[in-house]
Amino acid sequence: MIPNGNGKKTIVIPCSGIGKVQGLIAREAAYAAAAAGGGELLCLALLVSGDEEAVSRIRDAECITIDGCPKLCAVKNVEATGGTVAKSIQVIDVLKNHRGAELGTATKLADAGWAVAHEIAQDINHCESEVK
Amino acid sequence: MKRAVMPCNGLDKAYGVLARELALRLMETEGMHLICPVLLNNSPVRYDKDLADASLLVVDGCPTRCASKLAQKLGIAVAGKMLVSEQAKTAGVDVGESLRPGPVGMQLVDAMQAELAAQAQAGVDGQPAVDFDPPTRFLTVTYDKFVFKIPAEGYLFNENDCWVRVVGNRARVGVSDFAQQSMTDITYFEPTRIGAVVEQFDEVGSLESGKSMMDVLSPVSGRVTAVNTELVDSPELINEDPYGRGWIAEMELRDFESDKALLLDAASYSRTIEGKAAQAQH
Repeated sequence: MIPNGNGKKTIVIPCSGIGKVQGLIAREAAYAAAAAGGGELLCLALLVSGDEEAVSRIRDAECITIDGCPKLCAVKNVEATGGTVAKSIQVIDVLKNHRGAELGTATKLADAGWAVAHEIAQDINHCESEVK
Repeated sequence: MKRAVMPCNGLDKAYGVLARELALRLMETEGMHLICPVLLNNSPVRYDKDLADASLLVVDGCPTRCASKLAQKLGIAVAGKMLVSEQAKTAGVDVGESLRPGPVGMQLVDAMQAELAAQAQAGVDGQPAVDFDPPTRFLTVTYDKFVFKIPAEGYLFNENDCWVRVVGNRARVGVSDFAQQSMTDITYFEPTRIGAVVEQFDEVGSLESGKSMMDVLSPVSGRVTAVNTELVDSPELINEDPYGRGWIAEMELRDFESDKALLLDAASYSRTIEGKAAQAQH
């Protein structure tokens, strides 16, 4: 896990991301960000189900949440569990700059969907390097 | 009946990713309603329509069983469960650690989907099929400070401390009061696979406590039609009510008349316990 400028570690937590293309984008953005060193992944359901180790991990870290839809499951649950959300990303906000793009489906991203996922990942990694 | 599937989040472990793959496959090819476990937790009303009168399958990736825990927490009835790590173990395959499913992982998804289809075709829905009244009269064996209870009628036992209760061509199996007291607090229950065809004395689940482990050896042969999924999250029910809520599996009998020859009635099992208790003391 990567310590940031505060000496804390960064954890990237996407929403569960199942059933909607925006959720899949959130998930893929998290994978891409983590692969590029933007933080470590944490499974949101693990947190929601009350796993003590997961809860402890976010309390000692700064979290970057990525939500696909306006339900905001990731940011709400991280905050409800006592985590600090250093950055909250909403895919639907990012998509305002990609109106009309063919994103793909809930099971498979099209090229434009991948592009949005990578854009979000870059944003996360930029944020992460600024904090360091 | 409508069918719905809820996988675990499946983000950062290969087994979880396969749980998600299976759920998506079932949605796309079989029209099952897809339930997001986190959204369900945040906003249960969102899935009222999908879950009303639906048969819910829960697919967990790893033994942490997040999806099962959330279903239990919300009091949602679960018709069937599948645990990918257990399926991989049974199939003898190593899916690796990649979060992008490879050919081995996708073959496992194929196999799990085929198994679910076979269960559906065989009419095995994983639901208990028979009402079993709890026993009302017991024989007791007292040894030192311990008192072991044995239902006086309606139950048969094998020498491995497992019981069977038969109604028609169905049977329910579990472990005896002697077994649960010998193990002390049971902390882990691993169910067998629904649809499994077992011989008499084959394993139909396993238990662990801080003190010991126990394979639950079936007193009868047949096909497993249901398992007590409540025990996965509450294995202590076996300690609290071994002949009732702590039941292990339900089975469709194959050859009960032959199986009976190797089983003990309450009086014979009482004598067996007396012998075991005395042996344990020395």
